[in-house]
Amino acid sequence: MEQDLAKLGAYLGSGIGAGISVIGAGLGIGKLASSALESSARQPEASGDIRTTMIIAAALIEGVALFSCVIAMLLALK
Amino acid sequence: MEAEGINTNRVGHEAAYEAHNAHTTDIPPNEVFPTLLSTLGEHRELTFFHYHLVDLPVILYDKEYGFDIYPNIEKMKEAGKYTLSTTHKIVKAQKPEETPTLDLSITSLVCFQWLAMIILLVAFFRAGRKYRKHPLKPPKGLQNLLETIFVFIRDDVVLPNIPSRKAAYKLLPYFVSLFVFILLMNLFGLIPGGHTATGALGTTAGLALTALFVINGTAIRQIGLKNWLKHLLGGAPWYLFFIMVPIEIISLFTKPFALTVRLFANMTAGHVILLSLVGLIFYLKSIVMAAVAVPFSIFMYALELLVAFLQAFIFTILTAVFTGLAIGEHGEHSSHHIH
Repeated sequence: MEQDLAKLGAYLGSGIGAGISVIGAGLGIGKLASSALESSARQPEASGDIRTTMIIAAALIEGVALFSCVIAMLLALK
Repeated sequence: MEAEGINTNRVGHEAAYEAHNAHTTDIPPNEVFPTLLSTLGEHRELTFFHYHLVDLPVILYDKEYGFDIYPNIEKMKEAGKYTLSTTHKIVKAQKPEETPTLDLSITSLVCFQWLAMIILLVAFFRAGRKYRKHPLKPPKGLQNLLETIFVFIRDDVVLPNIPSRKAAYKLLPYFVSLFVFILLMNLFGLIPGGHTATGALGTTAGLALTALFVINGTAIRQIGLKNWLKHLLGGAPWYLFFIMVPIEIISLFTKPFALTVRLFANMTAGHVILLSLVGLIFYLKSIVMAAVAVPFSIFMYALELLVAFLQAFIFTILTAVFTGLAIGEHGEHSSHHIH
């Protein structure tokens, strides 16, 4: 019984945690992409630089989300 | 007589396949997914679909037993020191809960890493010889492809990010080989029968370890050991050292750690999604699911192809950015850090 409860907690925690972190990452990357699009529409000649910078920033945001997904995975596999 | 030989051979293959299937079904059902995840692409034999190609050696080190080398997993079981648990982990025969201290086995992932190294060595030496032989001839074929990659890394990754031109040219070979090595390992996972070596934490941790040495080694060479130690203070007054130094030392290691996890998680995530999509057919036991799962898997496959290029690029450019930051912080305000 106690074992089952612990398992329930681990699965619940990993699911909810992964979900919440994905919300954060989605908001972050969405905001980033919208600003990048606006700025490259305003200044099309700088779009190459903007794209590279955007990809780096997106990778950093995604990295944080992946950290939480790895933590969630560790919880679920426990 | 010959036909008979072929026939027995095929029967042998089918028997082996069935034995393999029977072997995998005795995993308890609630541990199938964790087992699949933990051994994703990591096998102790080289197979092409279900055709067995070659056994790979098992090399184990334990504090109690010392070094042991077995030609394959069956020989290891026969020798009696180690055995396999129900979740396919190597455990000690006497104490089934203990694993050996170090598992240095040549797995399929190591083989594919070696394959990538051999391909790159041959390709780059061939192209290099052509340049030495005919320096003024326009490049063509393989040489052209490698030159495109080289120029891309030089102009878009290394030169804009590393402030010192001399250091940039010195590090250029490292960044080019990092990019093509990761790219090739990522692409191997998309070939049927291949394995992604970057989908294992060990490989990406090794790559990130080289990045750690390059970032700090370049910084020490460029700005001197004294300035490098000073940058551990993070620009704060000296009496704050007991807060700043631990934070800065942790931030030295979080950068390679983030690189490790990013590449590993991206490469694993794609495989897990493909596994789940195709697994739906077997889970629901209906052929109708194939109509949904196959188009989705093809779409994911295309996305994986993009991710393979993108992650190789991101690993390379982030290493270059971190190197540039480690050099460029000297003498200027260092309020912006990228973690």
